[in-house]
Amino acid sequence: MAEAAPAAPAKPAFDPKAACPDIRRRLWASKTKGTLLEGRLWPSDLWPHPWISESYRRGAFVLGAIAIGAIALAVGLGEIGAPLAALHEFYRQWAQARLPEAPAWSVEAVWILVKAIVVLHIILINGLFLVWWERKISAHIQSRLGPIFVGGWHGWLQTVADGLKLLIKEDAAPAQKDSWLYRIAPALAFAPVLLCFAPVPFGRDLEAANIDVGIVYVFACSGVSVLGIVLAGWASANKYSLLGGLRSAAQLVSYELPRAFSIVPMVALAGSLSLTKIVQAQEGYWMGFFPKWFFFYPIVGQISFVIFLIASVAETNRTPFDIPEAESELVAGFHTEYSGMKFALFFLTEYAYVFLAAALIATFFFGGGAAPTPLLSVIPSWFWFLSKTLFFVFCFLWFRWTFPRFRIDRLMDFTWKFLLPWSFVNIIFSIPYIFL
Amino acid sequence: MNGYFRSIYDGFAGTFKGLRVTLRHLVLPSITVNYPLAKLKPYERFRGMLLFDPATCIGCNLCIKACPSDCIDLENMKTPEGKKIAKTQWYSIDFGKCNFCKLCEEVCPTKPKSVWHSLDYEHVFFSRHEMVRAWKQGDPWVGTYWDPKEKVYVIPEFQIPIEEVPSRR
Repeated sequence: MAEAAPAAPAKPAFDPKAACPDIRRRLWASKTKGTLLEGRLWPSDLWPHPWISESYRRGAFVLGAIAIGAIALAVGLGEIGAPLAALHEFYRQWAQARLPEAPAWSVEAVWILVKAIVVLHIILINGLFLVWWERKISAHIQSRLGPIFVGGWHGWLQTVADGLKLLIKEDAAPAQKDSWLYRIAPALAFAPVLLCFAPVPFGRDLEAANIDVGIVYVFACSGVSVLGIVLAGWASANKYSLLGGLRSAAQLVSYELPRAFSIVPMVALAGSLSLTKIVQAQEGYWMGFFPKWFFFYPIVGQISFVIFLIASVAETNRTPFDIPEAESELVAGFHTEYSGMKFALFFLTEYAYVFLAAALIATFFFGGGAAPTPLLSVIPSWFWFLSKTLFFVFCFLWFRWTFPRFRIDRLMDFTWKFLLPWSFVNIIFSIPYIFL
Repeated sequence: MNGYFRSIYDGFAGTFKGLRVTLRHLVLPSITVNYPLAKLKPYERFRGMLLFDPATCIGCNLCIKACPSDCIDLENMKTPEGKKIAKTQWYSIDFGKCNFCKLCEEVCPTKPKSVWHSLDYEHVFFSRHEMVRAWKQGDPWVGTYWDPKEKVYVIPEFQIPIEEVPSRR
């Protein structure tokens, strides 16, 4: 019997556990397996001709596809103002049929509550989106990539992950705090922004409340937020917080003046303080194609727009006007001592105000939901409003990552010696438009 | 009055110049590499982790003399009569001391070099023992380190080579 030839010893399969018993090293080894970028172009080679890069072409294609897809979706959905009104009518009849003894105001109150919850979710989702967008835009302006992993596609779930982290964070507070004020300050900063969104016309027949003095209402409510910020600075028992809060009070109160005065011509032209009426005043087209937006009224429109834009950036405490939370001077300004969800509320407030300011710019100067040409009216008004608003939100982010911070005395000079006088002059400039 | 309007114009013009630059860089491709997923290969003369080939080393001690931080050590192999021969018994480099100056590679008289810089830049050490690499005859180029717990010399699996086959000068 022939002896079986000894089989060649099979090559043992690579066992990472045996090769590398230490878990830390295994982790490191698994994380450091990457593709080697050989022959990668240097920025000096790539930047003059970015289109030769395949990933660049792919990214541009994806962005274009997203834009076209969003437009197609909007056209498919159509106007949502009228269906929502029909839904309201249906709800009222249903409620009257089911509960005939319920007074009309209670039926309406439930509907208003539903609207408030919808507006609240606009603010929350806006916060989630804007934080991610800001991080991506700031990264790309600085030639970085920004969040890239969470959610699979360009880190789109990064903010959700950060929000969950904030939720489970320890709520550390200073021992010397003014306990009651410390707790109420974030709410006092956040609640007014929710109120501010009530009269904003998100599209045709799409405002939560049609208030006759909408502009006054919005500015009055946003003024209350200053109180929350000052209280946060005071109650934290921290010198940086206090300085930030006081600076914020000085800045916000100063910039509210040119902000309000810059839109006096728009109010005069529309003949109303209602945001809906202002949007209606901008309907129609000159010579059939040029939109009658207030921005296009020569001289007056542009000066108003510039002053309102600058004052809005200052009102939202953003760079170049972010002295209340100047990182290099005051650790984080008024929210230095806040952590967890209290900090998240301040953050949410800031981004909600950015969205609100952009929405107001779109409403006052760019016709709200009006299409730029009659041809494009097939795209519903809420989509136009949203795209205009997001464009100005983008401008806010763009300014933030371009400009250095103002010094505090120059900041005050700028509003009192430049913006405010010019907003008065602008009112004089608008006289011919009103009487012609 | 003219100066006033001029200053306003200059302010806005400067503002728009800055905005133009940032917008341009926003739409240009990023230069960042997704590091653990994608890695850059350094240029050819990069001085990474030192590799050593015990098969070609002649044990001439020139690298020890050249080393400014005194991190190399070696012992020659001996004949049964106790005579040194041109082979190393062991060779060690302490990467805790090494300053990656390339002087050892420059003085190495063998062809190809017996000690040379690879392109590996991922030096990670979890303990001081791992910093000291030792080579005996037959050991791979990356060397081994002494594991005091297991009392054995271990090949550092965690050092990921940037090239599949490390280049040799």
